[in-house]
Parts: sequence; C-alpha cells; structure tokens
Amino acid sequence: MNRPVYIKAASSISPQHSYEAGMLLQPVVSSDNGRLYVVEQDYRKYISPVAIRRMSRLLKMSITAGMQCLSDAGVSPDAIITGTGRGSVSDMEHFLRDMIAMKEEALNPTYFIQSTYNSVNGWLALQTKCTCYNQTFVHRSLSFELALLDAQLTLGEGEDMQNVLVGGFDEMTDYYHLVKDKIGYWKKEALNSLDLLKHNDSGGTIGGEGASFFVLSNDSRDATSILLALEILHKPTVTQLQNAIAKLLESNGLEPCDIDLLLSGINGDVALQDSFDAASNMFDSSTAIAAFKHLCGDYDTASAFGLWLANYILSNQSIPEITLLKQGAGRPVKKLLMVNHTISGDASLMLLGNC
Amino acid sequence: MSEKIVVSAAGLISALGHGVAANMQAIRNLRSGLRYPQHLRTIHSGEFVMGEVPYSNEEMATILNLSPKHHYSRTALLALLAMQELLFATDIDLLRSESLALINAGTVGGMCTVEDLYPDFVAPGTGDYVKYIDTLDCAESTEDIAGFFGLKPLMATISTACSSSANALLLGARMIKQGVVKRALCGGCDALSRFTLNGFNSLKNVAREACRPFDRDRIGLNLGEGAAYLLLETESSARERGATILATFSGYCNSNDAYHPTAPSPHGDGAYNTMQQAMNMAGLKPSDIGYINAHGTATINNDIAEGSAIKRLFGDAMPYFSSTKPFTGHTLAAAGAIEAIFSIASMQQGIVPPNLNFQTPMEELLLIPTTQLVENINIRHVLSNSFGFGGNNVSLAFSAS
Repeated sequence: MNRPVYIKAASSISPQHSYEAGMLLQPVVSSDNGRLYVVEQDYRKYISPVAIRRMSRLLKMSITAGMQCLSDAGVSPDAIITGTGRGSVSDMEHFLRDMIAMKEEALNPTYFIQSTYNSVNGWLALQTKCTCYNQTFVHRSLSFELALLDAQLTLGEGEDMQNVLVGGFDEMTDYYHLVKDKIGYWKKEALNSLDLLKHNDSGGTIGGEGASFFVLSNDSRDATSILLALEILHKPTVTQLQNAIAKLLESNGLEPCDIDLLLSGINGDVALQDSFDAASNMFDSSTAIAAFKHLCGDYDTASAFGLWLANYILSNQSIPEITLLKQGAGRPVKKLLMVNHTISGDASLMLLGNC
Repeated sequence: MSEKIVVSAAGLISALGHGVAANMQAIRNLRSGLRYPQHLRTIHSGEFVMGEVPYSNEEMATILNLSPKHHYSRTALLALLAMQELLFATDIDLLRSESLALINAGTVGGMCTVEDLYPDFVAPGTGDYVKYIDTLDCAESTEDIAGFFGLKPLMATISTACSSSANALLLGARMIKQGVVKRALCGGCDALSRFTLNGFNSLKNVAREACRPFDRDRIGLNLGEGAAYLLLETESSARERGATILATFSGYCNSNDAYHPTAPSPHGDGAYNTMQQAMNMAGLKPSDIGYINAHGTATINNDIAEGSAIKRLFGDAMPYFSSTKPFTGHTLAAAGAIEAIFSIASMQQGIVPPNLNFQTPMEELLLIPTTQLVENINIRHVLSNSFGFGGNNVSLAFSAS
C-alpha cells in the first residue's frame, strides 16, 4: 500500500552490535555452526527483577527493544502492533515437553501464559500503560509486513493516531532448529555465516533471531527515514515479483535508475537465486546492492532487521561495507528498495526514502 | 465519513453442529453442546465437559471429500467446513476475480496434531510425519483455506488470544474502508488440544461441569472448539451484486487493559471503554442496544470485570444480555466470529439466546443475565464482546440492515 509513514526511531537486538549506542555493526559477529544468536543485553533496564527471572529470551529482548525504541523517539505509543512467526517458542516447547513427560499433571502455567503469541504485546501495553489499539500478526514470514500494513492503516485513521510502535521478533531454539532441519531449512555444509551468500548453489540457509522495533508516525519532525510504500506478495512467480516491483516504482513516480540501493533478503538458498537475479536485473549498474541475512540469519521476521538496516543506511548516509554486494555509482542513498525473499516463497517490497 | 460495511455471508461449525441454521436451532431448543470429549485424547476426558465438535477427523474429511492422505490438522478441517458453508451462499468466482483479503485467527494452530507427533519431531531421523511439521503455525489453516477453495487473497493471521477472530473482523472492515481490498473473509478457528486444556487447567480455571456465566457460584470455563467466518464488503458492493445483507457492521473497538498479563482490571475499565468506543463509532447510545452477547467465560475474573462494566455502562437501560459459552464452550480464537454470527442471527430471528445454568447473581453486582429464551422481539443493534489474555479487548457492534 502506498501510504507514506515516517520512521522516528528504530531499535534492534540482533546477532550483530545493532543495539548498543556507538558500536553499530562493529565488530562484525559471525558463526560457524549454522545459526546466529542475538548479542544479549542488560535486560534489567526495562524489566523488573521479579518478572525477568521467569521470562524467555524472546520476551526479554522484545520488551527491551520495544521500550528502548519508544525512549529513543521520546513518545508514548498510540498503538502497539507486532508480528512474530513463532512467538515465545521456547515457552511453548517447555510446556509441551513437560505436558508429555508429566502425563498432563502438575504443570507450571507460566510457560503456557508466555507461549501465547500476544504475550509481548501484553507486556508492552502494561509497561507503557498504553490502553489503545493492540494487535499481533502470526503469518509466518509475512508477520512483520502485516504489522507494518496495519500501522499504515492505523496512521490513516485519524489525527489522534500519531505514533505507532511496530515490531517483529523471533527466537532460535535447539528444538526449532532440529525440527526445521527435517524439512530442509538449513544448509548441510559447514560454513562461516559471513560466507552465506557465496554458498548460493545449495539448498537451505542459516538460522537466526532478533527483535526489531520502530516508532512510525505521521509527523515528519525528527524523522530518520520515510517508508513510502509496502507490498506483500504471497508466493509470487519471478514474473509476478518483477511486475510488482515495476508497479510499485511507477505508482511512486520512480524509474529503476532512481533507486540508489537495492537491499535484498537473499539468504543463500539456491531456490531463491532466480528471484533475486530477476529483481537485481531490473536495475542498472548505478544502483548499489546490499544484503543482510548473512548478518542476522534467516527467520520469519528477519525483514524487521532488514528495515532497521535500511533506516540506519538512510539516516547515516553510509552503507556498511559488510553488507555490500555491488558498489553502484556511489550516489547518496535517497531512495532504497528492500526486496525480501523467504524460504516459504513469500516476498515483500518496502520502498524507503531519506529525510 | 466512509461507506457502511456489511456482513453478506457467514458460515460456522461448533459443538452445536455444522452450519448457522443447526446452531441457532440448538440454541432455540436449549440444547447445549457440552459433553465429555470423544475425540480429544487426554487423561482428563472423563473429568471435564467440553464443547467438542461432534465429528471425528475422518468424518470431517469425508464431508469435505478429501483423500485419506490429506495433511490437514483438525483445526484446518474445522476451518474448511465453516468456510464451505459461507461459500455455498456466495459467488465464489467473484471472490476469485476481485480483490479479497482472508483474515484468519488462531491461538495454537495445529497443536492438536503437533502434540501427538512432537516426540517424533524432536527425535533423530525422519518419517511421514514431516508433512505435519508446519501445521503448528496458525497461518497453516489460513493457507489451507485459500488453497482448498482456489482463492488468491491477501492473507493475514492474527493471534490475540480469546479476542483473535473479533480482531480479524475489525481488521477486515478497516482494510475495506481504506481501499486495500474490496471484500474480506474474516474469522477464526481453534481445535481442542491437550496443550490448551492443560494450560487452562494449570491456571485452575477449567470447570468440570457445564459453566455458569455471571453466577455467584461460577466454577470456571469449559473449553470448546470450532471455526466461523463472515464475508465483509461495502453496502454498495453487496447491493450491486444483489447479495443478502445479514447486518451492518456498525462499530468496533480494539483496546488493551494494560493491567495484568492474564487478569482483567477488576472494575472492568477495559471492557467499559471498549464497549463504549464501539458504540460511539456506531453512533449508538446504551438504550439503542437490544442484546449483548457477552464474553462471559464463567471465570471468576472475567465475569466480575465484564459484569461491572455492563452495569456501569448500561445502568437503567440494561439490554438483554447472555453468554452463549454454556452452549459451545469457549472456542478461543473462533469465539469472536462464532458469537458475532450468533448475535447477528439472533437479531435477524428476533430472539435472545438464554444464559444457561444461571441461578444466583454475583453479590457484588446483583446483575441478572437473560436466563430464558426470548422470542418475537425486535432488536436493531447488538454488541458482541471478546476479551483475552494480554489485556486484548474487542467489542463489535452490528445493526439490522
């Protein structure tokens, strides 16, 4: 949907140093075991010691990223909208394993409560005393995009809607990794995560996790970038993907050469290579190309980390070397197109501009 | 002011049976669907009555004409049967050719299947079970619906606990109002699972016998299962194609208690504000409301909070109100859509479903729901409430067309 909304703040807890002030993406973190875990933070800043003891990593990182984002923007939210592929999957697994092992007797309700997909939203509402609109999307690799779409709708609904907190989060667990391995999610060969995109002649990718939050607003003051348009594509063919990109550019009055940076959600899986090539080939040599999943791993809401990176590039006017696949003409980044490709075959487009 | 959104088709399945007509007939006959479960395999099956849909998975697969090798979870089977009813009454080619959203809701997806297979999932090796690995996702049923009926909609899946499908409905209306799509199929599905039963039981709020909403001696909730979907579009779109308009979707509100992870605020502030804002959007005052289908789970916390809110908001203009959960059990993600259909059908038929099993008012409120079936009355506007874990509250307002 073409409905411009401003990004006022972004906060991401990821496998990279994306959260701590002053050390953005430095030093670069890599892994050799097929998965990337977040750089853990001091979660006591926003969560009470009593609550923190029982919380899964997902709850801690998501609440912290969300609260930090609001603090950076200096606003209280008028709505809280999130997307997650799996929610607090470690709590779900814990309760399920206990239920099977204990034969349905004497179970701890905490894991059950926290396994509900909307538990992060409930905590964020509680912490911010935000009694307004509150929504949680759980549609696999489009969960975060649907939250963004809802934020666009929400900001279109009236003047009392000014600041919407939007987030995407997922965690990696051993069991999750094992289960998804059985349906071909992960690469069989050993590799360093930073080489992921070079391994694009085999199936699968590497696992990842993270929690990224944004304050979106109708107000342009102090905005770091602008999200101009969003497109959600359910299992597009290569041609449908190209057509959607062409239509998105045209409806925003842009030519392919107006795109300074193409940010790709390519994940090393050979199955996505055609779709990546088709998207890249629409742009000439002046458009730079960057990627991000070798930094965060792949997970349902990895595009939220992608959006965090896009906002970082636009607001700092600097493309981190580690993300670059193709140099381009080295122009200032005024228009950025993110094309996310996912294991499930779904895709999304986000058109962003600088402020 | 944007154009009116209307409900132009509906379909459902619950413990009362398959189809809106069968469900409403059971309500008129005061026939509850609660019983000891026959299909859910649990050590608690002789302990708790539940609102189990009276079909086995095999029976549902037969009705749907599926090959025995199908990959559908019980959750998806329920969703397909509910959607099948809706689509019988709708021009499916129109839904295929014009822009459409499918907004589904679930709390645990295909957990009913996954909990049986999980030991295999996490053991080394592989097997035929791998086709069920993705059924855990709530989105699986959404994609199953689209695939089975040959639809290519914009798909979304929502999970906000017990208010999930009420949220699906209001999201659909908002998408249509802002021109994202022309029509939206909205609702939710949940099947009974040991996971959910033991989760609620670990919270000690599952009743052994039939639940007693708003009663002083209420004993907790009964779990249920089911699925329900409604077709939303603008009034002009429905009139253009000569569709029967079941009701106008006149107001809605989503808000959050911001009070506690699982319990509502004791005075029902969240419920009060949610109902009031839904009525404000519809341009209604308390005396306009003819019937409230309450959330009424019969848990200690919900009923005191919701009852307080209803009493404060409606005071002397108290409309008929009841919880239909003693008929169906609490169907979780499906509840909002099932009860929206009950509210609309009651308005169309001029009846009020009774709040079964009520004997003694709560001492704090002295609030008495509608305990007998009321017939031959004229209702113009109804409210349907859904309140969930995480403080997620939704009220929906429907008006006679």
